[in-house]
Amino acid sequence: MISRRSLLKWTAVAPALAAGSHAAFARMPHGLDALLLDERFSPEPQPGQPLIPVMRFAGDVTRVWYDHLDRRWREPGYVLGGITGSDALFVLENLAEQHGRRVVSRTVLDEPHFQGVAPISWVIAPHHPSVLA
Amino acid sequence: MALPPGVTETDFVDGLAAMRSAVGSEWVFDQPADLNTYRDFYSVLWGEPEEKMASAAVAPANVEEVQQVVRIANERRIPIYPISTGRNLGYGGSAPVLNGSVVVDLKRMNRIIEVNEANCSCLVEPGVSFFDMYRHLEESGSKLMMSVPDPGWGSLVGNALDSGGGYTAAGYRGHFEAVCGIEAVMADGELLRTGMGALPGSETWQQYRMGIGPCLDGLFRQSTLGVVTKMGFWMFPKPEAYLSASVEVMRFEDLEELVEIANELEYANLFNGMPGFSSPVLTRANPIVMAMVPEPEEMNRLVGETGLAAWSFSPNFYGPEKVIRAQWEYVQSRFAHIPGVRFNETGSLRLPISADEMERIHKPRFGIPSLEIFNVGSRGYGDFNPSDGHIWFSAVIPRSGKGIVEANRVMRRECERLGLNLFMFAPAVTCWTRSFVLFAAVPVYKDERNAHLREAVSEIIGICAEHGWGEYRCPPAFMDSVMDAYSFGDHKLRRVNEQIKDALDPNGILSVGRYGVWPERFRAGRDA
Repeated sequence: MISRRSLLKWTAVAPALAAGSHAAFARMPHGLDALLLDERFSPEPQPGQPLIPVMRFAGDVTRVWYDHLDRRWREPGYVLGGITGSDALFVLENLAEQHGRRVVSRTVLDEPHFQGVAPISWVIAPHHPSVLA
Repeated sequence: MALPPGVTETDFVDGLAAMRSAVGSEWVFDQPADLNTYRDFYSVLWGEPEEKMASAAVAPANVEEVQQVVRIANERRIPIYPISTGRNLGYGGSAPVLNGSVVVDLKRMNRIIEVNEANCSCLVEPGVSFFDMYRHLEESGSKLMMSVPDPGWGSLVGNALDSGGGYTAAGYRGHFEAVCGIEAVMADGELLRTGMGALPGSETWQQYRMGIGPCLDGLFRQSTLGVVTKMGFWMFPKPEAYLSASVEVMRFEDLEELVEIANELEYANLFNGMPGFSSPVLTRANPIVMAMVPEPEEMNRLVGETGLAAWSFSPNFYGPEKVIRAQWEYVQSRFAHIPGVRFNETGSLRLPISADEMERIHKPRFGIPSLEIFNVGSRGYGDFNPSDGHIWFSAVIPRSGKGIVEANRVMRRECERLGLNLFMFAPAVTCWTRSFVLFAAVPVYKDERNAHLREAVSEIIGICAEHGWGEYRCPPAFMDSVMDAYSFGDHKLRRVNEQIKDALDPNGILSVGRYGVWPERFRAGRDA
C-alpha cells in the first residue's frame, strides 16, 4: 500500500514529468527526492540550480545503481523520478520491485527515439511497509 | 483466489495464515499487484492463460523461517517454488514452473556470512547479489575476485544453481564448478549440509567439496529437491595483470587445427581466461551475429576480398605479468606454423583498474557486475534490445572445428526456415571448460507471435537432439522437451530423477516440474 505522503509526492510531479524532459527539468518538481535523467534524451544540463539532486547517465544504469540506488532503496522513503529510455526503466523497475518499490507513474514521451529506444517519464515510489517513510 | 493444483481452498488459506505467523504478515503476498512482480517478464507464455503464475509468495528472513514455511507447505501438500532473487529472466525469472505454486522468495536472506581471504572462499545466503558481493570485496579491501555473469543483477546462489557462467578464470567462471558446500532445507523441513559441512566442528566446509560417500551437491543443481539456504564458493585471487590476445587464421581449413591446439593449451593450463572463438569475416556485418558458414571456397574468397580473418581464437590470461607474457609467447609458438597466421594483443592492463580503464573494459571479465548489456540495443548492433525480451537457445555442441561449422549451419538454416530472428548468435561460448555451447538469442514478444516462437523452438530442440546436441539450460516452457531429448535407456535419466524426487519429496511440493522432473502426483499432468 502506498502511503498518503508518498502518494502526494508522486502525484504532484507526474504531470510535469509527462510534459517532456526539458519542461520537466525547468519546472523542477517538488515531492521527489531525486531525478534521474538519461543523457541520450536530455543531453544538455539545464541552466539554474536544481532543487533536488539530479543524477545523469547515458543508458547504462550500472553506476547509478551501484553508487546511489542500491543503498537508498534499502532505506525507507526516497521517491525517484526519471526521464530515461525504456531499456533503463526496465532494469530499474525490476530492481525497484525487488526492493519493495513500484513504478507509480509512467508516460511514454512524444519525443524522438534513440536507436529505437523510447523516452519515458516515470516515478518510482516505496510500496512495501518495510520501506515506507 | 488462484489455488495451487491439488490443494483445497481451506488448506491453502490455512497454509498462508500459518506462513504469515511464521514470517510476519507483511512478508506474505497474495494480491494481484504483488504477484505481478513474480512473473517471468521474458516468458514465452506472457499474458496467455497458460502463463505460469504464483498463487502467493512468501519471503522468509532466515533458515528457521524457511524450515517453518517448508513444513507448513509439506503438511498441506502446497507446491512451493524457491527463488533467490529471480533475475534469470527468460529462464523462468521469479515465476514457478507449476502454475499456482507459492513462490518462496529468499531475497531477505542476503547475508555474506564469510569471506575467507586465506582460503579464497566465501559462504553466502541465497539473497546475496553479485553487486552485494562486489561492494563487500571493494569496501573490505579484499584480495579476491568473484566471477560474475552478465548482467550481474542476480544472486550468486541462484546463478550457480541454474548453471550460470561468467568470464573469468577456469575453475571459477562455470559458477557451479566453483561451489564448495551447500546447506539446504529438505522437503521434510530438515537441514542438510553437503561435503565437510556434514561434519560438526569441521573448518573445511569450503575446502573439500566431496566429504564422504556420494557427492550430493549435484542434487541441487537445476533441481527440485531442496531450498538452498547457504552456499560456499571458491574465489579467484585478484591477478597482478590481464592480457587478451587473438590468433587469426586465414583459411576455412584452418579451423579444426585452431580449435585442437587451443583446447590442448587450455587443458594444460597455459592460459586461464575464458577463450573466444569467432569468425571476423562472418561477423563483419554484425559483431554479435555470426553469418552462416559458407562453403570453403566461398569463405576463402571472402577472406581474400575483405582481408578479414576466416577464424579467430582469443586466449585470455590472468596472472603475474611476466608469467602471462611468457604464456602468450608460448601460445603464439604453437600456431606459428599455420600459413598466414596473425597474432594480436587486444588488451592488457595491470590491476587495480583505473577509472579510465573502467570505461573501456568488459567489466565482468574482472569480476565487476554490470547492467550495461541492457542498453546494448541502443549502440547500433542491429535490431536488438535485450530489455524487450528474449530467450536463449543454448545447446552443448562438440568442442571441435567441425562442431562449430555443423552447429552454425544447422541453426542458421533451421532458424531461417522457421522464421526465427536470431539477433545474437555466438558460435561457441566457453564459460564451462571443456565444452562448447552454441548461444542463440531470439526475441520474445508480448503477443500472439509467441505461439509460433514456442512451436519453432520446440522443433529446434528436436533437430538439435537428432544431432546429439542438448541444451544445458532452458526456459520453463521447454524444460520437458529438453529433458525428453536426454532419452538414453528409455529416459533413464529422467526416471532416476523421478525416483529420487519421490523418495526425498514424497508429497511433491518442491519446485514441481523444474527441468522436467515431476513428482508422482503431478506426473500424469505435466502440462499443468
